[in-house]
Order: sequence, then C-alpha cells, then structure tokens
Amino acid sequence: MKNNIHNMKNYNTAGKKVIRQDGYSKVKGDALFADDYKFVNMLYGVMVRIPTAHAEIKSVDYSNIRKNENLIDIIDAGDIPGEKNVGPIRKDQPVFCSNKVVTPGDVICMLVGESERELRNLRNNVIVDYEEFPVLTNPSKSMGKNAPLIHPEYDDNLIIHYPLRKGNIEEGFNESENIYEDEYQTQLVEHAYLETETVTALPLPTGRGVKIIGSIQNPHSARNVVASVTGLPLVQVIIEQAELGGSFGGKDDTMNILSARAAVASLKVKRPVKLRYDREESILESYKRHPYKMKYKVGYNNDGKIKAMEIDILADGGAYSSMSPFVTWRTVVQATGPYEIENVQTDVKAVYTNNPYTGAMRGFGSPQPIFAQESIMDEIAYRLEISPAEIRRINGYKQNSITASGQKLVEHQVNLIPVLEKAVEQSNYESKFNSYLGSNKSAIRLFQSENLILKDNDFTNAKDIYRQGVGLALSFRGCSLGAEGIDAAAAYLSLQKDGSAYLISGLAENGQGMKTTFSIIAAEIFGIDASDIYYLDQNTSVVPDSGPTVASRSTIMGGGAVKIAAETIRERLIGVLQEEWNEKDSNLEFRNSQVYVEEEPSKNISFKELCELAYSKGVCLAAIGWNPGPKVDWDEEVGQGAAYFTYVYGCQVAEVTVNTATGEVFVDKVTAVHDPGKVINLLGAQGQVFGGVTQGAGYGLWEEVSSSEGFPKELNYDQYLIPTSKDIGDIEPIFIEGEDPHGAWGAKSLGEPTLELTSAAISNAIRNATGRRYKNLPVNIEEVLLNRKLRPGSNKRGSSL
Amino acid sequence: MIPNLEYTKPETIDELLELLKGNDGNSKLLAGGTDIIPGFQQDANRFRNIQKLIDINDIQVLQEIKQNENHLEIGAATTFTDIIESDLVKKHFPLLRKAVSTIGSRQIRNRATLGGNFINNAPCADSVPPMLVYDALVEVRSSSTVHEYLLKDFLLKPYSTRLKNDEIVTKVRLPIQPSKLRGDFVKLGRRRGVSISRITLAVLLSVENTTISDIKIASGAVTPIGKRFYELEEFAKNTKIDNEKLKVIAKKLGEVILDTTGLRWSSDYKVPVVQQMCYNLLERLVHNED
Repeated sequence: MKNNIHNMKNYNTAGKKVIRQDGYSKVKGDALFADDYKFVNMLYGVMVRIPTAHAEIKSVDYSNIRKNENLIDIIDAGDIPGEKNVGPIRKDQPVFCSNKVVTPGDVICMLVGESERELRNLRNNVIVDYEEFPVLTNPSKSMGKNAPLIHPEYDDNLIIHYPLRKGNIEEGFNESENIYEDEYQTQLVEHAYLETETVTALPLPTGRGVKIIGSIQNPHSARNVVASVTGLPLVQVIIEQAELGGSFGGKDDTMNILSARAAVASLKVKRPVKLRYDREESILESYKRHPYKMKYKVGYNNDGKIKAMEIDILADGGAYSSMSPFVTWRTVVQATGPYEIENVQTDVKAVYTNNPYTGAMRGFGSPQPIFAQESIMDEIAYRLEISPAEIRRINGYKQNSITASGQKLVEHQVNLIPVLEKAVEQSNYESKFNSYLGSNKSAIRLFQSENLILKDNDFTNAKDIYRQGVGLALSFRGCSLGAEGIDAAAAYLSLQKDGSAYLISGLAENGQGMKTTFSIIAAEIFGIDASDIYYLDQNTSVVPDSGPTVASRSTIMGGGAVKIAAETIRERLIGVLQEEWNEKDSNLEFRNSQVYVEEEPSKNISFKELCELAYSKGVCLAAIGWNPGPKVDWDEEVGQGAAYFTYVYGCQVAEVTVNTATGEVFVDKVTAVHDPGKVINLLGAQGQVFGGVTQGAGYGLWEEVSSSEGFPKELNYDQYLIPTSKDIGDIEPIFIEGEDPHGAWGAKSLGEPTLELTSAAISNAIRNATGRRYKNLPVNIEEVLLNRKLRPGSNKRGSSL
Repeated sequence: MIPNLEYTKPETIDELLELLKGNDGNSKLLAGGTDIIPGFQQDANRFRNIQKLIDINDIQVLQEIKQNENHLEIGAATTFTDIIESDLVKKHFPLLRKAVSTIGSRQIRNRATLGGNFINNAPCADSVPPMLVYDALVEVRSSSTVHEYLLKDFLLKPYSTRLKNDEIVTKVRLPIQPSKLRGDFVKLGRRRGVSISRITLAVLLSVENTTISDIKIASGAVTPIGKRFYELEEFAKNTKIDNEKLKVIAKKLGEVILDTTGLRWSSDYKVPVVQQMCYNLLERLVHNED
C-alpha cells in the first residue's frame, strides 16, 4: 500500500502521552458499570449452593419455597433449552449442577424474584439431598489409583499432558559438567478485580432473542456460550459490555456462565434479570491462577553454558478444565525461559481436583515457570561464581536463536540481551549485587519449632536487622494466541463528514486502555487528534467476532486491524485529492488535521474539509479492517513448531529490603525494561508497567487463596492481601522498541510481560539479601523466617503445607 | 447485607442514655461504623441480632479532646484522624498517636473512633497497648450510674468488656506522664498499609545511671486480648542497660506469652518474633536511638 510508510521518528501522536478516553468519566464517577444499569420490572437472581466440595446430588426439593411470595421462579438445569454444559475446550462445566457438585462454588439452582435480600433468606429452604464423596485436593494424588474421579465421563483426572522433546536429554546430561536439580511451587491466587461479577439479561421481543449487559471481558465468547445454552442463533444474542472494573483475565468463563444463567432466566420469566455477586461469592465461585509444582533438572558446564534441561510440571486445574489446556500450553512453550538449550525434555500436565477451578489470569501459565527458571538461573550463577547477568548473557536468546520448540527467532528484533543490559546498567545491578552479597551470610536465623524461646545468640541487633538485596529476572513471551487457535481481529472505522470518526474493534476494553490505543493508531494514519475518535462501546452485533481479549493481543492484533481500516479509508481520501488537485505522484502529508503536499502551499486542505469533500463525492468513509494472524504450527507429539509468530522480551530488576527479624520484605524499587515493540500510548504503557509490577509483587510476597477441603478461605480483602501503595517503592518503566513487521508499526504486547517477571526478580533479590533461596510462593513473613507456610485453623504446632 | 433496622440519632448524652434504658442488647451504638457495616456484610455473629442503631455522631461532647488538670480526656467517639491531629496527644501521648496512625487507611481513620477500637476488645486493637502503658482510665455511664475503670480492668476477654447493654463509654482519661519516660509503639502487619496487626508492642521506660528505673510493657495481637505485663515489668526494673540483660527481658516476654496462649498455629512465628521485636525496641529505647 502506498503512503503508509511512516518515518520512525516522525509520528504525530503515536508514542506520546495521551490521557485515556474513559479516564474523566471514571474519575468523575459517571461512567456506567454493569450494576449501574437498572431496568423497569427488573428481577434479581440469587444462587443456591451446598456446602460440599464433592458430592452426588440425590434430589432437590423446592416445596418449601414454591409458594413463597418473594419467589417469582426457580431456574435450574431443567430450564436450559440448549447445552447444559459449557467450557472453552472441554465442555465439562454445568451451568447448573444436577448430578454432581465438584467444588464449593458450584451452583444447584437460581432463585429469581424482586428482592435480593428475601431471595437470599430463602436459599436455606431449598432442600438438597446429597451424598458426599472423598474430596481430592492434592493434584499430585489426582492420577493415583485410588483417586476419586472428578468427572466420571472421562477415564481419569488428567486434563491435558503436553510433552516437548528437543535433542537428546540423556546425552545432554552426560555431556554436562554439573547438574542442578530443584523443585518449586506456586500458589492459588485471585485476580482481585475491584468490581465483582454483574450481568443483566433482557428478553427482546419475540424472535429477537436476548440482550445482555454486563462486566464481561470477552463479549463474543459470552455470546457463543449464551447461544449454545439458550439454543438461540448467534444473531439473537446481543452482548453489550459495560465499563469493566478490572478483569486481569478473570471475567471470562465465570461471566459467560453468569450471562447464560441470566439469559435462561430472563427468557423464561420474560423480565430483565440481574445477577450480581458480593465479594465472598465472587471469590468462592470464580476461577483463579493455577498452582504449579515444578521439578527442574539442569545440566551445565563450568563455562556457564546450559546443555540440557528436564522439566516436569503439574498444574492444579481444579474442578473444571476451563483454560487449563491453553494455559499449560504456553507453559510448555516457555518453560525453559529465554535460553537456547540443545537438549530439552518438558512435560506439563494439568489435572482435576475438587479445588476452585483455575483458568486465565494475566500471565497465563508464565509467572509460575519464570519463578522457577529464573531462581534456577541465579542458583547456577552462584554455583559458578559468576554474575547472574552473565549466566543469562551466555545462554539468552540472540537473533536467530532456536527455542525449545525448535523455532528460529527471525523477522523481529530479538532484544533479550539489550533489555538485560539496559536493566543492569540503569539499576547499577552488578555493583549492588556484589556489595549486598558480602554481608548476607546467615542473615536469617531459622527458628526451630522445638525452640520457641530464643537463645542469646539467636537475637539480631537493631543495626543488623535490615538487609538489602537486588535481583533480576528475564523473560520472553509469545505474542497473542499462537497455536492455541484462530487468531484474527477486526476493526470498524466510520469517518464522519466533519472529520470525527467512530471506531470499534471486535476486542474489548477491559481497563487496559485499548480504546485510547486504537484511537491513537487511527488518528496517526489521518494526522488528526486521538480525541477526534469516538470509540464505541462494545456490542457483539456491530463488529465481527475477533476472538477473546486475552494474551496481550489487543494492540498487536486489533491495533493492526485499526491501522488497516484507517489506511483503507485514507487511500480513498487520497484518491479524492489526487482527482481534485490533479496530482498523481506527489506524497500527501496527513498532519495536524491538515492534508497537504509539502512545499506546495496551494495544495492544502483541512482534514475536515477533505472529509466533507469526499462525502459530497459519494465516497464511502467507513471500512472494516481485518487482521489475520500469520501462520503458526505445533506438533503435539513432540512439542515442536513455530509456536507464536513473534515474541516480546523483558527484564526486571527488583531491589528489596528484608527485615531479618520479622521476615518483612519491602520492595524499594523495580526497574522494568520491556520491549513491547512500538509504544503507541506512552502513558498507557507506563500504566501497564506500574500495575503489572505491583500485581507481580503481590503474587511474590502476599497473595494466596489457601483452600481447605476445596473451600477457599480468603473470601474478602481483609484476608486476601493485595499490595497497597505503601508496600511498593519506585517503579521505573523503560521501553526498548524493537522492530517487527507485525501489528501497527511493530506495536506488540505489554500487559502480561510486566507481571510475569516480578515475583522471580523479588525472590532473587531476597536471595541476594539473605543468602536464602525460597522455593514456595508467596514469600510471606512466615516463609522468610521459617521456610514454610503457617496456616490458621490447624492447632497442630508447626503444621505446614 | 445490611438488615432492616430502626435508626435514631440523639443529640445529647442524656437522650442517648435514655434510649439505652432497658436495652437487651438489640440496640447498638453507631459511631464510625467501620466495624459494624462490614460486620453486617459478613453476617457476623456479634451484629446478627441488632434491631436498632443509635447514631452518636451528633453528640459533640463525645468527640472532644481536652486537658483536665493532670489528665488528657479523649471523647470515646473521637476519630483517629482527630487524635492524630491533636497537639495535646502529640505532646503527651506519642505512642497512642503512632498506634492510631497505623490503623486502616486514611478513609477509615477519618471515621473510626477510639471507643470503637477497644470496645470490641479484639486482640489486634491497636490503641490498646499504648493506652495500657499509659494506665488509661475508661469512664462508663448509664442513665443512673457513672463508673471509672482502669482500661486493663475494663477489658475482660476477647470481644467482652465490663460495658453493660445500658451503658456507654463516654471518654478515656490518660494521666499525663512524667517527662523522664520515653517509649515507642511498634506494629508488625503482613503489609504496610491497611493492615491488621500480627504483633504490636508498646513500651515506656526511664533510664537512670545505666539502669532501667521504670518500665511499662504491653502487647497486642499476641495474647487473647491486649495485655500489660506487670510481673515482667517488676522483673525488668533495675536491669542494667546491657544488651545481654535486655535479651533476658525479651525472652521472659516470650515465656509469658507462651504461658498465656499455649501453642497456636502461629506460635512458631509469633513467639520468636515478639522476643526479637521486644529486644530491638528495648535496645533502641535504652540507648535512646530513634
């Protein structure tokens, strides 16, 4: 296409700081979130559950409430006209349970009426007769001979197993001068979006189906689920997205199911039905991040070169398969970290348990192996007495490196070493690392449980309590969906005759700032201001299904689609001017809301006048841009192939202070160097780093849902601790913009890369500060001092995991 | 969910006490509401049978801070923010100021009150250890009686005090301390902001001729209720300000706490850490290091 080449240094707005379009309305409080929508004759739906993690339902008796004045109807599995089970890959999750309950969040039925309060009181009067089964909570036991089958329709509790084989692992170990083996574990965590799940379904006139407004991350996915459950054709399910109060991957399956429940109810009672969860219900039912158990065996030589890596990972999928097959697939692709290793053998499995189910969460199968693999890289460096940066320089990907899945890294700039060098230099990593290292010996005196009263030499003097440390972590990340599935995105752009424009894509604004990013891309093409673009609210009936808004794919996929749509229209505008000015070859500039030929003052028109001119000539000013992803491939048998069409790279350096007397860790500073490709909105990109690092620190130091017999214990934020602004020091975002033929001017991905590294960098900093390696997240106060978790509820002294 | 409740808002203490006459426990006072509102949401036992809320926010005398001869009087419904901003509190009772400034977030401190903090007698109430070392007095009134208790006597057991259903706490009286006493309050939480205490310690002491001449020690969150350690104080008096001797005091505190609580799930962590924190606190105070 002509006229689409931008000089990299000559952007109008792309790369500058632009205040997000939805910012003011959210700050002022007039943005409309899902619970702000109220409708005439609206009813509420309230869920009925039973307090068990695993049981067969014998009977459900509604006779006590049938005649209650506060009850309009009861909705259960029998009311579902279409598919009774849903799931993005395996359809193993019932919308309402009628045979079995497999985790405490499961819902038997829903009471519908005008008063939520009265409905909640009625819940206890539904009599459910059930027979309890043994509860399976330990994923390591789920494949054992005596393990209870969670879903008897499948042969065993295995959800998925991905093998990856590269080279010859045995030979690799034989050729290695050293072997390092270790095990790491990560915990169950909650997304902790501020807004809880809310959705309203409105029955439309006969033959028109149902409309749904909710806090829905992926409106098109929700539409697929609602259509399958209601039996309606896709066109009769119209989903509008309300402003979303946080998602982080968490408002996918849960919201699809809630949408389906609301739709079934509203179509049955023929009134709008709203469902909204309080925090306890939200944490109880919604899916979480997978806990991983990870075994690594690494063969390496004295020169630091890693020869072989054997990885065995077990993921707790919880009660439903949900996104487990995709989450663990990303893990198998990235489990070695960004290191070129000749011989790799990886096995990643996900299994069913009766724990809360696990699915998509920002990071999506990468924070866990990064914690393990980056801890291990440091441990190897310690053993070889070389710098942790140096071991990464030796093994890290360079241009044309071959990944564990045999993919050659070509076409894009492989900026792994540049982000590492920048982070090391900017944070003064080497000299800090060495100076802290000298003073950290036996900083933590692990208290022995038989000796609660300290001995004189157990005490640490005040001046010696605080120890500082610095740690780094490195990652690569495949952009977008990769071989998970179909990967294409659409954008619809409609220019008005006054030069303003409507824009919408098939992807969703989930708080990441996408509306603004996409508006900047369109504005850049037209040389207008991003505020001239009116980004429409998401509605599944007006724009093609573009897949889910996940995998940090909106900028690279949807941004690319916006650029294509804008360029299509710009070509038409150019055509109009070429005719008007009788210009065939000259280069038209679109800049500062003017369109002109350089050095020819007579050939100048305002963008607004140009739009009016084009309109008057009958030129179509609307277009759909369609951006299909390049081909990727994957051989399931051996885990080989070009898994993703491009990658991004990041390095974070964490600086911490550890109170060795109490185990408190304070994050003094995080230097975050990322190559997201071209930055579109600098303000938005920085925001992603601030949020991702903070969330990553929460994962590293505090957050954990500890379930007991399948019941999550931390059901609100008094127990479930996310970091506050007081808990994190400075965060310094730095961007290195690698070149890439994909996306808009090479704009790729940033949302997830910012989070996935932080816990590993912090743990490495704690190692530098204390001399101790922590292998189980979160590294909370008890973990730091005792090297194990303490949990309430057990009076047994020193009871740990 | 907030239940359907009767709600009244008296303007004077007399009016309030009249409303409380014959209260069977179903009427509760509402001051900041930072405990009761989440309690309703969680359907907490303590708030389940409430039928009537009596809002005391219009009763000005319950929100006054004033010096009365040798005491500072703080109205029970004084917010933490008002306590933090009081020059009198800052001058005479810095440990209390420090303790309440660690509670919750600014939004919570703007609403939550001193009385509300200790009236529940939760083990983690942060105002309690400083008030215990300051020998705080609690004034309790009904329509016909006025009592004054030492705070340590007012607090009975977890979530239980001497307060009867028809009584209110009107104010706390803090004796102005001899100027030779110095002290500090330290708090350990799981994070720095909006944090429920895991361990708190309040210590006041004076040093004469390299010897601890007077000492007061109280803790929170490590015993079933906030606790003053009188025997330990006697033990610690006349101790030379030698670090090895301070360790003996700290170890003794660990033993007392262990004796009081028995072994709990958290003992492996809390018992060693409280000794270490106590040691470091004493170390700083006796050497007058801030």
